[in-house]
Amino acid sequence: MMQGFTIGRRGAIAAGLGAAAGVAAGGSAGAFERDGNRKILVFAGGQPVPVIDPHSRYDWSTRMIQQSIYDALAKYVNNPPQIVPWLAERWETSADQTVWTFHLVANAKFHNGDPVDAEAVRYSFERGLRMNKGVAWMLKDVLPPENIVAVDPRTVRFTLSRPMPSFLTFIPLWFIVNPKQVQAHVVNNDWGEAWLTGNPAGSGPFRVRRLEPQSVIHLDSVPEYWKGWPQGEQNRLSGVIYRIVREPAARRALLQRGEADIITEIPADDFEQLKGMRGIRPEDHKGLTTFAITMNTTKGPTADLNVRKAIAHAFDYDALIQIHNGAATLMTSPFPEVIPGYVAVPDMPRRNLDKAREFLAKSAHPQGGFELEYVHVQGLEDPRRIGLVLLNSLQALNIKVNIVAQPWPTMVARGAKAETAPDMVSVYVTPVAADPDVIAGKYHTRAQGNFWGMHHLTDPQISQWVDAARVEADETKRNALYAEIQKRVVELQPEIFGMLANRRWLMRDWVKGFSYCPLRLTGEVDLHPMWIDAR
Amino acid sequence: MALFVLRRLMLTGLMLFGLVVITFVVSNVAPSDPAALAAGPDATRDMVETIRREYGLDRPLPEQFVRYVGGILTGDLGRSIVTTRSVTQDLARYFPATLELVILAMGFGVLLGVPLGMMSAVLKNRAPDHATRFIAVSLVALPAFWFGILLQLFFSVQLEWLPTSGRLDIASPPPPFVTGMLLVDSLLAGEWETFGDALRHAVLPALVLSFPCLASILRVNRAEMIEVLSSDYVTAARAHGISRLRVVCVLALRNAMLPTLAIIGLRWGWMLGSTVLVETVFDWPGIGLYAVSSAIAGDFKPVMGVTLLIGVNFMIVNLIVDLLYGVLDPRLRAGA
Repeated sequence: MMQGFTIGRRGAIAAGLGAAAGVAAGGSAGAFERDGNRKILVFAGGQPVPVIDPHSRYDWSTRMIQQSIYDALAKYVNNPPQIVPWLAERWETSADQTVWTFHLVANAKFHNGDPVDAEAVRYSFERGLRMNKGVAWMLKDVLPPENIVAVDPRTVRFTLSRPMPSFLTFIPLWFIVNPKQVQAHVVNNDWGEAWLTGNPAGSGPFRVRRLEPQSVIHLDSVPEYWKGWPQGEQNRLSGVIYRIVREPAARRALLQRGEADIITEIPADDFEQLKGMRGIRPEDHKGLTTFAITMNTTKGPTADLNVRKAIAHAFDYDALIQIHNGAATLMTSPFPEVIPGYVAVPDMPRRNLDKAREFLAKSAHPQGGFELEYVHVQGLEDPRRIGLVLLNSLQALNIKVNIVAQPWPTMVARGAKAETAPDMVSVYVTPVAADPDVIAGKYHTRAQGNFWGMHHLTDPQISQWVDAARVEADETKRNALYAEIQKRVVELQPEIFGMLANRRWLMRDWVKGFSYCPLRLTGEVDLHPMWIDAR
Repeated sequence: MALFVLRRLMLTGLMLFGLVVITFVVSNVAPSDPAALAAGPDATRDMVETIRREYGLDRPLPEQFVRYVGGILTGDLGRSIVTTRSVTQDLARYFPATLELVILAMGFGVLLGVPLGMMSAVLKNRAPDHATRFIAVSLVALPAFWFGILLQLFFSVQLEWLPTSGRLDIASPPPPFVTGMLLVDSLLAGEWETFGDALRHAVLPALVLSFPCLASILRVNRAEMIEVLSSDYVTAARAHGISRLRVVCVLALRNAMLPTLAIIGLRWGWMLGSTVLVETVFDWPGIGLYAVSSAIAGDFKPVMGVTLLIGVNFMIVNLIVDLLYGVLDPRLRAGA
C-alpha cells in the first residue's frame, strides 16, 4: 500500500513539473512589440480610459488617448508651453478679444475621408457646450452655441459675450469630431454620447483598433495622417498600445522585462532604483501640479488666521523634498512658475518655530493643546507620509494631528460643505490650461464645493480681483491683478503651500521622440512624434 | 425532493431581496457625490446637476429604490456613471473573465486539495502530513495581494516564465467571442496558440486565488477522512478483504466529501469576492476590477451590480451543493 502511494506521489510531481515546463516554454520574449516591419509602442499606466468621447470627460490617460484620436484647432507643445496652430493654420481676434476667427488648414481629413471643415468645428463646440459635461466649464459662460458661425468651409468665428483673454488657452482642449458620424448615432437627443463613448470619429494621428476600457487600448497609426509624421514615414510606429496596469510593482516589472516601453506613475524609490539601469532612460521634469494642505477657514481652530499662520511656519518644508528624493520644488507662490502672471511672493512661510509661536500666541489658542484632523486619499503613500511630517512639525506647537485616510469620493463629499470639511486636507491640483485664471479661481468664493475649495475661503477682495482679471484684455493690468491676488492669498494662508512634484516617466532607451510639455496632464504624453529606434 | 428544491428557491429569492436592500442602503448612506465626481474637478454646479438629472440621482431615495428593483426584474441594473454604459452590459463583458479565473482556481483547489487531504489522513502524523498541514496553514495566512506580487516578481521578472498580468499578450487578438472565457473560446476556435497564451496568463492569478481554497479543502478533507477511516464500517470493509486503495478512494472518500462539498460552495462565493484583490494585482479585467474602479470613482450602480451578481452566484452554487448533498447522502433525500 505504501509503495502504491509513493509511486502516485512521484507521478504527480513529475506531471506537475511537466505541466509547469510546458507552460514556461511559451514565456514571452521581452522586447518591443512588432506588427510586420513596424513597431508598436507599449505604454503602461495605472489609470483606465472608460470613455473616449472628447466632450464628455478628461483626465490624463483619457486625454492622451483623445489627443491621439482627435485634433484640435491648436495644440500645446514644448517647455515652456506654447500654443501652436494645428487644425487652424492661423487665427485673429478683435481688439476687445470678443471675436475670434480661426482659418482652417485645407488638407485635414477625418479617418473616414470626410474633410475637417468649419461646420465640423462649429458642431463640435456646440456639442461640447450643449452636453454640458467635461470641457464645457471652460467656455459655457462666455460662448453661447449660437455665437459660433461657420463663415465659409475654412473659416469659423466665435463671438464671446464678454472679453475672455484666456479663450485661446482652452482651444487645445476642444477636440473636433466628425458631425456626420456622430449624428448618424444620435439616440434620444444624446448628441451621440452613447456611441462616441466607445467609438471614435476623429482626424488624429491614430485610429482605434481595440478598445477594452479596463485593460488595453490598441491604436493604429494613420499612414495618411494629414499633418504628417515628424519622425519620418520610415520611423512611423505601427501603433501604440496603452496598457492599464494598476500596481506600480507590475508596471516596473513590465518595463524591466521590455514588455512595456514606457511607464508612468512611479513611486519615488522605484524611480531611483530603475533610472540607472542599463537600457532604461528616465525623463524627469519640473511639474505643474501643486500640492497643498488646505485648512478649513470657517470652523475649528484653523478658522483663526493666526493659527493657520502658525501652522504654516511650523511645517517642515524640506521634508516634502526629501519624501520625493529631491524631485520636487517648493512653491514660491500659489501659482506655478510656468503660469503667466506668476510672481514670487515675498515672505512665503518657511519653517521658523519662533515666528510660528508668535502667531500662535496671538491666536485664541496661545498654548496650542488642540487636535486637528488631517485627511488624505486612502492608498496614496506620499500624502500619508506628509501627514506624518505635519504631525511631527506641529508637536512643537503642542498641536496634535489625527491622520485619517479616506476614499477620494468620501473626502470630496466631506470637503464640499464648510461644516463637514476636515480641518486639513492634502490636495493636488493640476491646471488644465496656461492661464492664471485657472489657478486664481481656486480662491474665489465660487470655488467652495470643489475639491480645491475645501478651505472655504471667503474674501470679497480676492473674488473681485479674480472677476476683474478674468475679463481684463490689457496684459499688464491683468498681471498686476494676479500679482495682488497671489500676495493676498498668501496673506490669508488658506493652505500650507507645498511643492510641485516632478513629472516622471521611465522608458526603454530605444524610445525616441518624447517631448515634455508641462501643460499636459500628469502622466500624459504626446504619442504622435514618438517612435522606436531599434532593429 | 421537489419540495426541497422549491423551499430552497424561495429562500434564495428572499435572500436576494435582502441583498438588494442592504447594497442599496449601504451605497446611499456612504458620504459621496457620484455626480460631482463624474463631472470632474473643474465642473460647475449646473454641470453636476446635469449629470445628477441624467442618472436619476436627483430623485428621492425611495423612488430610486423602487426604480432600481423594477429595473432588476427586467434585467436592467442601471447605468454606470463612469463608463456611461449599462451595468448589465458591463457585467456581461467582464463576468466571463472572472468566471474563467474562479473555475480555474476552484479546479486547482479541488484537484490538489482533495488528494492532498486524503494523503495527509492516510499518513497521519508522519512527515508528509506535517508538511502538508504546514503548507495549508501558510496558504490560508498569505495575503493575496502580497503573494501575487511576490509570484509576479519571481516567475515573471526573475525567471521570465510567465507573463506579469492581463489575459493575453497585448498585441494578440482575442478569439471570436462565444462564452467570453478565452480558454474555452480559443479551444472552440481551434486557436491553440491563443489557448496556450491565455493559459500562461491565467496560471499565476488562478494559483493565488486558489491557495486559501486549496488549504481549506485540504484541511476539511483530511479531518473528515481521518474520522471516516476510523469508523466501524471501514474496519468491516477491510475485514471483508476489500483493498485499502478501494476503501480509501471510494468508500471513505464518498462520505468524507460531504463537508468538503459545503466548503466548495462557501469558497465559491468567497473566491468571487476575492477576485477584487487578485484581479487588481494581475490586471485581470473581470468584475472584481470593475467593482474596484467603480468604488474608487464613487460609482455605486456597478458596485451594487457586482454585489448582486456575486450573491446570485453564491446562492446558486450553494443550492447546487445542497442538491448534491441529497445525491451523496440518501438520508437527506428521505428527510426532504
